[in-house]
Amino acid sequence: MVVGDVSTGTDVAVVGGGPGGYVAAIRAAQIGLDTTLVEMDAYGGTCLNYGCIPSKAMITATDVAHGAANAEEMGVYADPEVDVGEMVEWKDGVVDQLTGGVEKLCKANGVNLMEGRAEFAGGDRLRVVHGGEGQGSESIEFEHCIVATGSRPIEIPGFEFDGEHVLSSRQALAMDDVPESMVVVGAGYIGMEISTVLAKLGVDVTVVEMLDEMLAGYPEDLTRPVESRAEALGIEVEYGLAADSWEETDDGIVVTAEDGDGNTESFETEQVLVAVGREPVTDTLNLDAIDLEPNEDGRLETDRQARTDVENVFAIGDVAPGPMLAHKASKEGQVAAEVAAGEPAALDYQAVPAAVFTDPEIATVGLTEDEAREEGFEPAVGKFPFSASGRALTTGDSEGFVRVVADEESGFLLGAQIVGPEASELVAELGLAIEMGATLEDVASTIHTHPTLAEATMEACEHALGHAIHTLNR
Amino acid sequence: MAREFKLPDVGEGVAEGEIVDWLVSEGDTVAEDQPVAEVETDKAVVEVPSPVNGTVRTLHFDAGDVVPVGDVIVTFDVEGEAPEEESDEEAEAAEETAEPATESASKSATEKASTRTFAPPSVRRLARELDVDLDSVEGTGPSGRVTEGDVRAAAEGDTTEPQDEPPEEDREVAEPAGEQAAEHTGGAGGQEPAGREKTLAAPATRGLAKELGVDIDDVPAVEERDGEAFVTAEAVQEYAEGGVAAQGAPEAGAPQREFVEGGETTQPYRGVRRTIGEQMAESKYTAPHVTHHDTAVIDDLVETRAKLKERAAEQDVKLTYLPFVIKAVVAGLEEYPVLNSELREEAGEIALKQDYNIGIAVATDHGLMVPVVKHADQKSIVELAEEVNELAAKARDRSISREEMQGGTFTITNFGAVGGEYATPIINYPETAILGLGAIDERPVAEDGEVRAAQTLPLSVSIDHRVIDGAEVGRFTNYVMERLTDPELLLLE
Ligand SMILES: Cc1cc2nc3c(=O)[nH]c(=O)nc-3n(C[C@H](O)[C@H](O)[C@H](O)COP(=O)(O)OP(=O)(O)OC[C@H]3O[C@@H](n4cnc5c(N)ncnc54)[C@H](O)[C@@H]3O)c2cc1C
Repeated sequence: MVVGDVSTGTDVAVVGGGPGGYVAAIRAAQIGLDTTLVEMDAYGGTCLNYGCIPSKAMITATDVAHGAANAEEMGVYADPEVDVGEMVEWKDGVVDQLTGGVEKLCKANGVNLMEGRAEFAGGDRLRVVHGGEGQGSESIEFEHCIVATGSRPIEIPGFEFDGEHVLSSRQALAMDDVPESMVVVGAGYIGMEISTVLAKLGVDVTVVEMLDEMLAGYPEDLTRPVESRAEALGIEVEYGLAADSWEETDDGIVVTAEDGDGNTESFETEQVLVAVGREPVTDTLNLDAIDLEPNEDGRLETDRQARTDVENVFAIGDVAPGPMLAHKASKEGQVAAEVAAGEPAALDYQAVPAAVFTDPEIATVGLTEDEAREEGFEPAVGKFPFSASGRALTTGDSEGFVRVVADEESGFLLGAQIVGPEASELVAELGLAIEMGATLEDVASTIHTHPTLAEATMEACEHALGHAIHTLNR
Repeated sequence: MAREFKLPDVGEGVAEGEIVDWLVSEGDTVAEDQPVAEVETDKAVVEVPSPVNGTVRTLHFDAGDVVPVGDVIVTFDVEGEAPEEESDEEAEAAEETAEPATESASKSATEKASTRTFAPPSVRRLARELDVDLDSVEGTGPSGRVTEGDVRAAAEGDTTEPQDEPPEEDREVAEPAGEQAAEHTGGAGGQEPAGREKTLAAPATRGLAKELGVDIDDVPAVEERDGEAFVTAEAVQEYAEGGVAAQGAPEAGAPQREFVEGGETTQPYRGVRRTIGEQMAESKYTAPHVTHHDTAVIDDLVETRAKLKERAAEQDVKLTYLPFVIKAVVAGLEEYPVLNSELREEAGEIALKQDYNIGIAVATDHGLMVPVVKHADQKSIVELAEEVNELAAKARDRSISREEMQGGTFTITNFGAVGGEYATPIINYPETAILGLGAIDERPVAEDGEVRAAQTLPLSVSIDHRVIDGAEVGRFTNYVMERLTDPELLLLE
């Protein structure tokens, strides 16, 4: 291998191959820009390799087992045997298929792929450092650079990830067998999703949460069904406790946590999973070289065109402001690529949907009633419980509801909150409605297939209009 | 915290303004309502006041910049709010991209949520494409939703009104909107009341009409919606101004001329004049022009034409030099097809035209028009003469149809009709070349060490240098000149 600095030129250099970066690269190449994508670990980034996809694969697999084992009500008696190793192998197969697909798509669209860590070496130059002995480095001269370096799990002091006793979400999703017990630090969505998987695999799960609520940031009436389902699954959630330290014992470890008053509590367990949030990755980039500084959250500030303070450098995804979500990363990637190509693109969406794949699922988009009021709207709210949905009852899962929030005067939809079966899918229709400027009337007047869960959105809109059929009007 | 201050809509429908002067510098302390900038729109120069007490952190534009309404022009650090918070606030603002910071800041002042303009994503994109500020568009869709048609109408409204970037040199003419309106009604005698039964208009437009005391059914409609007349706010405004001015004008009919020291009279920049202006600007600023000049010695052509002129007169045809030039040009284009082309940037292709449709620029009372002689390659000199005369006459009395001015592949302009030798013709975009003719006259020509007086025709060929190289236009011109110098060669074409 040649040691030295080989320089190539490109219109757009994309750093990071996650859902932000690879989408940006493909779009840029589609528009006809010469595009180079640099990834230092694995194509598909966090989302495909260590996040969304593996977690959802495990959630679905454990749901299948758990569903079969708990269908006596339907007259089904089963005692599924789960081979965790095979389950994980299947999940890895899904991941491989998708990451391989990303690589193929990039190549098919003419994206130059480069492996290595990219760091800025000036306003128009990246140095790509290859791993391994004597691999040397290369330079890329770019017109535009799209930074999509994503995020990594936050480590809390005293809980360095060792993959043995203290796990990150990434490590937890890579286990090929499950422990008997697990303490999960953090009741955010990652903590709760993985806790649910573990509990369904028979692990004795204790969640330790510093705040006094689960899934902070989501309305309480949405998290309540999740909380009670978690409890039914045997997950114990301890609120108001901050994990403090751990030590090894003969049978595993003991995790100590402290409440606000300095009282401590300890939990015996086999392993501890720390899922307290994620931090943006900018330290791999040598930002000094372009005089760009992250804000105090560690993110790169951007404008409506995803540009940073440096004119030709864009930032997207987890490293840019906003919720850390894959679909938001991808959309920003498209916008950045189009802006780089001189197209009139901008981040002007009305609402970013979010979903939590707990049991039951939670999904939200746009404004809640309170937020709508704060924005100056007089909100009209409609709700439809899944207990009144024919389809929900036939699935054996009828907990939860769909709620819509609209502007009373004009009828424009402003937001929706859903908890219940397939919430993550159902939210899509309402997201579309919000973006299209659809009114309650529009959604209510759209014929929905019967019997489906999606009818609930129509019914919720009818409810907001005061003429619901299958639920009592306000 | 930081407050981003956007260029406000300083007047009805104004899409942008020029920052004439900053009245503050970065780091200055400012008080609320203190003027921070002088902004000139095509309607007026206004002072823009600070919305806050604080200090000026960043001025985002330089004096002289033209800024679209809604762009952030100043970032202030608001007094009494810790600047450390700003990044948080900014992060939040960026998160809710649909709701820029200033709007939420000024929201308390407005009773209703005006933070959102409801429009589907495709319409939002169109607005960006056409450079229309969506927030200033009146929605006519369900519940006031902004539709594609609304955005297009807003964009078109901008181009038919003088407010949309008049070319630099015309700005003064276009500026004083008030005078212009008065002049317009003076000249046109005011707009006739339409007196319709039913008129469609947005609620805000109706409100405006009421405010101005105008019956909306009388306002001339600019378009139709669902088969009914549709009236815009601009139309109401214009009608109202027309009405008011007409009442005040002592002699409606003739524009008044005032001879005042330093005075001026203004003319409306619209209609044909404006269309020409826009096309010229588009051509000039899109296609890098290079003009090649040369002179053809045409003693023989003068003779030939003099002979044939009489013959043609017998057939009732007035024979000018132009048909000969057209013949020579067509020959040149056949030999050098790249001059008979169109550049399609978006498709990334140069279209070499198979037709030889020669546009002839004709100066008329209402401006320059370019009727097109179709398939000039298939016509005789006499046929060409006939057609050119007919088209020119139609152009002058404005009876020419649109089709007769379309489809050109190359243009000839005869500025020599009023004398002079060389000029820079502007390409009739998207064509890629144009020939300008100077005046045919006796000029000194050096031949074999002798200077003699010869009949000469100065030629100026402008080309789009993106498509055509200098050498090519040189060769083309030589080829054409050869045929003008030796008209017998035209017999071979
Ligand atoms: C367990 C888990 C579950 C999740 N579930 C969901 C979900 O259900 N839905 C959802 O929307 N989101 C989910 N997320 C979040 C989602 O994964 C992220 O929001 C998304 O991956 C962000 O995409 P990105 O492109 O910004 O960055 P990433 O996906 O993090 O990709 C960044 C890439 O950049 C590379 N990189 C970093 N620095 C350099 C450098 N200097 N040179 C070269 N390469 C570099 C990294 O190796 C990485 O591959 C989940 C996350 C986790 C951890």
